[in-house]
Amino acid sequence: MRRPSSLPYLFLFPALALYAAFFIAPLFFAGSLSFSQWNLISPKKEFVGLDNYAALFEDPVFWISLRNTVVYAVATVFPSMAGALVLAAVIERSGKRARAVFRTLFFLPVIASLAVTGLVWAMLLNPVGGHFNIILGMLGIRGPNWLNDPFWAMASLVMVGVWRGVSYNLILYIAGIQGIDSQYYEAARIDGAGATGQFFHITVPLLSHVSLFVLVVSVIQSFQVFATVNIMTKGGPNNATNVLVYQVYQEAFQFFDIGRSSAAAVVMLVLVLAVAIAQIRMIESSESSMAR
Amino acid sequence: MRHKTIRRLKLFGVRIFLALLACLVLYPLLWMALFSFGNPGISGGAAALLPGSLALGGYRAVFETTPFFLWLRNSFAVASIQTALQVLVGYLAAYAFARFPFPGRSALFYFVLATMVIPAQALMIPMFVTINSLKMINTWAGVIVPFIASGYAIFMLRQFLREVPQALVDSAKVDGCDEGGILWHIYLPLSIPPVAALAVILFVNHWNEYYWPLLVLNEEASMTLPIALVRFKNEGIIEWMPTLAAATLATAPVVAIFLATQKSFVEGFAASGIKG
Repeated sequence: MRRPSSLPYLFLFPALALYAAFFIAPLFFAGSLSFSQWNLISPKKEFVGLDNYAALFEDPVFWISLRNTVVYAVATVFPSMAGALVLAAVIERSGKRARAVFRTLFFLPVIASLAVTGLVWAMLLNPVGGHFNIILGMLGIRGPNWLNDPFWAMASLVMVGVWRGVSYNLILYIAGIQGIDSQYYEAARIDGAGATGQFFHITVPLLSHVSLFVLVVSVIQSFQVFATVNIMTKGGPNNATNVLVYQVYQEAFQFFDIGRSSAAAVVMLVLVLAVAIAQIRMIESSESSMAR
Repeated sequence: MRHKTIRRLKLFGVRIFLALLACLVLYPLLWMALFSFGNPGISGGAAALLPGSLALGGYRAVFETTPFFLWLRNSFAVASIQTALQVLVGYLAAYAFARFPFPGRSALFYFVLATMVIPAQALMIPMFVTINSLKMINTWAGVIVPFIASGYAIFMLRQFLREVPQALVDSAKVDGCDEGGILWHIYLPLSIPPVAALAVILFVNHWNEYYWPLLVLNEEASMTLPIALVRFKNEGIIEWMPTLAAATLATAPVVAIFLATQKSFVEGFAASGIKG
């Protein structure tokens, strides 16, 4: 069978050329910038070796933002996954038409932009006149100064992250549940399993491949949290909500220290890749053990 | 009989629970839409649980004091052009991956997958420098061009195109179809539903994009809605009521698109996680 062998490359050419210019080149460029001192405007870049990395690792703000990134990721990812899984199972039990309606409604937080979301949540959390503290006040609780308190500022970002994360993961879990053969549930019912038993003995284990995928995607996404930080807290108060991406942004576009910003970006890149590869390995090994 | 009643009651309970939860989850968005019709003249209006009276003052302020329609046009242009280009370039690449065996295919496909794992934020400084040197700051092209090759679009379309039966291609060849004919008469007509679903998802994503446009667009006239909203809110140029009106106006188009296409939207979105 004869195939015109250059044809697939022709089809791939636009994508590959764009990747070369806007993915591969920036990758190397980021690496080289991390070894230079530059302020974005000056015509000359000075090679400084590993100075930027040394300065970064000595900078307490870097370690704070690294810790905050991990705290945010852990605090956001697991509640988003558990919440979405439970909610998906409940929605599945609400009947055919209701299911479609709820699936649509609960997806809306993902449709609204993070910019709008961030602005609206910041207004709701405002200690003066924000609805959160008004409602807490009615319950006799004096609400905190949400975005200006180191603990509550991070808690607020996590809350918005979970709010959106549950919506996002929910769709994946609902699709996963619909892929489960209903015979499993019937067999479990005959064996006398109630809704909770069915959830833990059928839904959760049979969705483990979906959960692993959701875990990888959620962790990668939570490591890149930026919009809500920039809009709601600006990394404050006193760096309590500074995260790696925000530090990369600040160093470059507020302090004009491109070298240090690039070093932070490289560290972030290595970290995300390492976490992603570790998780993908986990998926592969669990899949091969299932096949066995 | 008694059993059936209990089942009905349970179903009713589940629905009530979900309806209450939906109100809670959608509270921020409902609050935004409701208070965008608040009355800016009444002081402390924001501090109430319900707006004292409904008015259009917030909306009037948006139209009178900001170039809202310019931002709307920018958002629309950037999102639709970027979507169209991503679909076009992505379709060609996906077609190559799905239809032809060729040396380097799996390596190149792994490369595409890798582009989805690497955080784009880590590359934005060099990209910014590149776009700056190309004089594309404050242009639509500056926002669009670096992200035309989309791993997500390539991946999604390839998953679909792989499912097109080989028998269709073979019979077309028997009928004398050449390569161009196979693409045009077999693949493209079958691709309309998945391309539409993908396009809607991409459009909504680009409409909402925040980080990269924030770097590229810093002139008022070039901004997209999310950038403009945050900037002018922070500088106190728009008060909270007009901000809510503008935020509602910025959200309404994508919510409308989502509601109109929700079945294919949700299924297309879910497919990215299931078939992988």
